[in-house]
Formats: sequence, structure tokens, C-alpha cells
Amino acid sequence: MMVNKNKTLLSYFVIAVFGLVLLYLGTDGFTAYTSEKARVNQLKEETPMFPEVTLEDHAGRVYPFSEFEGKYVFITFFYSMCGTVCPELEKNMAEVYEMLPEDVVEEGIQFLSISFDPERDTPEVLDTYREWLGSDGETWRMARIPDQKELDELLDRFGVIVIPDEYGNFAHNSAFYLVDPDGRLVEVMDYQETREAAATVMEIMEEGEEK
Amino acid sequence: MKGIYYVVILYIFLMLPPVANLMESVMIIHMHMQMTLFAAIGFLLAPGMIRKFPRFFEEWNPNGIPGLLLFVLVIVYWTLPRSMDEALNLWYIELFKFISLPFLAGVPLRDSWKKLKSSWKNGLIIFFTLLFIVMGWLYIWSPNQLCNNYLLIDQITLGWGFLLTAVCMIIYLAYSYITDLAENI
Repeated sequence: MMVNKNKTLLSYFVIAVFGLVLLYLGTDGFTAYTSEKARVNQLKEETPMFPEVTLEDHAGRVYPFSEFEGKYVFITFFYSMCGTVCPELEKNMAEVYEMLPEDVVEEGIQFLSISFDPERDTPEVLDTYREWLGSDGETWRMARIPDQKELDELLDRFGVIVIPDEYGNFAHNSAFYLVDPDGRLVEVMDYQETREAAATVMEIMEEGEEK
Repeated sequence: MKGIYYVVILYIFLMLPPVANLMESVMIIHMHMQMTLFAAIGFLLAPGMIRKFPRFFEEWNPNGIPGLLLFVLVIVYWTLPRSMDEALNLWYIELFKFISLPFLAGVPLRDSWKKLKSSWKNGLIIFFTLLFIVMGWLYIWSPNQLCNNYLLIDQITLGWGFLLTAVCMIIYLAYSYITDLAENI
């Protein structure tokens, strides 16, 4: 019976270790319980480059993303027909915009809202949206990426998952993205924590200046 | 023993890509039907395995508690929103689902169940009742989309599924408590 007892103890041990390893691996060491969190962690590690895409903005201007080279770019992904998260996302983006000092907004950083619904978000629609948000149209622009292939490449690289539903809406994950002057994604921020996001942006920009 | 073949056929059928994809396309079916079925397959395969390797189960799971522990850990892993997403995105997590739910959850549960004292059994049901209430609450009232592969409405449906299951378990517990009481009078 002695042997049996040892085996029972051993089986507790093996199972406990197995369970811990399973849960550890499944949550990246108890840091990410949802794949969204895991995605953000991975993006911060990978810092992918913003792909070369052509933007068409609310004023109908067409230019490549490299237009913003040398500036930080604060990005959100949205679509104007969205009735749920996007208005909140964009209103929060406006809050961050307001919180940053004026000279920073004019010189150092570009705000850019990118629509992932290029079919419906024509420049006219984007311009209405811009007006509603009270953006000046220069330091904060709304744009679409007319080429679906380029758009998909960008969404894929930045881990933006967009699922169309049966009513012409999209389910999608939302965040604030910060791209550095070289076009590299350096930070992904919680869009509900505007104060924190503004502080993070300032911190990163100041660090960048020191270098 | 013809029954075992039907179980194996069901097991293979559920793993066929078109069948698996169809079931996984709806969140609540993915979690509360597909996953449950895989665990049930293990449950049905267990007697044959226990007959084939009686010593193994006797030696490693003498009082049923190690098996219970394994079952709980595996099921807890599969209730994480992350695991469900990854089963859809990564083939090896999907494969792990097909193997872990029958053989690391269903089989040990069947073997443990007859060895456990009723206090452990009720404890297990109470544990899952609480877990399902928490999961239901999380999926229904979470302000965020927890799974990237599913719509928010799917998530809310799943939350209600969890709560409903919890309610069923509470009814069962109450029923067994009352009938026990009646027997003892």
C-alpha cells in the first residue's frame, strides 16, 4: 500500500504541474486572458512598420502614408456608420487631442482616423464626420484606404480584426495606436483611458526628442 | 460492445473540418455543445479504457481526487476566452481541444465519479455553479469584446447560456438536497 500512496501523491503533483503549465502557457504567464490582450502585448514586442498605403482623406486629397514621415502619428480605426464603439472611440480621441499641448499638436504629432469601410466612407461622408467631431481637418484628418488589398495588409499587420455582421455593421477591436516618425508602431493604448493615453504619448515623444 | 464504435464514429465525425467549423461558427455552440460533446465522448469511452488498463486507473487515481483535479483544470482552461479564440486561430490548440476534452476531462471524470464520496461530487457541482455564474456575468456584462473571433451579441448569448446552466445545477443541488432529506426522515 505504501507504493500506492506514493503514486497517488505523484499523480497529484503531475496533474498540478500539468495544470499550472497549461494555464501559464494559455495566458502567457497569467498576463493575457483574452486574445486581445495577447495581441496588444505581441504588437508592442514586434513594433511592426506601417505598410506603404495610399490614403484618401476627407478633403479628397490623395497621398501616401509617408506624407507624415518625421512626425508621430496617433491613429484609430473606425467606420462612420458605426453606432456603438466608434463614436466613443473618436470622442475619446478628441479628448486626447485636447489634452496635448498646442505646439505638440501643430508640430510633432498627426492625428489620423482611418476608416475600414472605404465603400461607404467617401470623402464627403468623412468630412461630415470630421465636422461632427470638430476636428480642424489638418492636424487631425479622417481618411480611407481605397485599395482593399492595402487596407487588409494594414489591418493584418496592426492586428485590427474586423468582422462584418449581417446588418452591414462591423464587429471590431478598438485601441489608440501610436506610430513613430520612422513609421513604426510603438504603442497600443486603451482607448477608454484618455488621460493615460495622453500621458503616454507625451512621454514617448519626450523620450524620442532626447535621442 | 457495439456501442463503442458509435462513439468512435461520433468522435471522428465531430472532428471533420466542415463539422467542426460549422459548430465553431456560433460561440455558444462552440463552447456549450461541441466542447461538451467531446468531454461526453471521453465519458463514454472511459469504461472500455478502464477495463483495458484497470491497474493504471487503480494506481494513479485510487480515490478519484487526482482525476477530479485534472478534469477541473482542463475545463477551467477551456473556459478562458483566450483558449476559444486560439482554438480557431491555431491548429495545434484545436488539436489539443480534440484530445484534451475527451481524454483529460471526460475519461478521468468517469473514472473518478464512482470513486468519489458524495461530498466531493456536490463540491464539484457547487464549484462549477459558481464558476458558471462568474463566467455568465463576465460574458454578459463585460464592456469589452472578449473574443476577437465572435460578435458581441454571441458573447452575450454565451453568457446567458452559462447562467442557465448554473441555474440547472442549482436546481439539481436543491433537488438532491431535498430528496436526501426526505430519505433520512
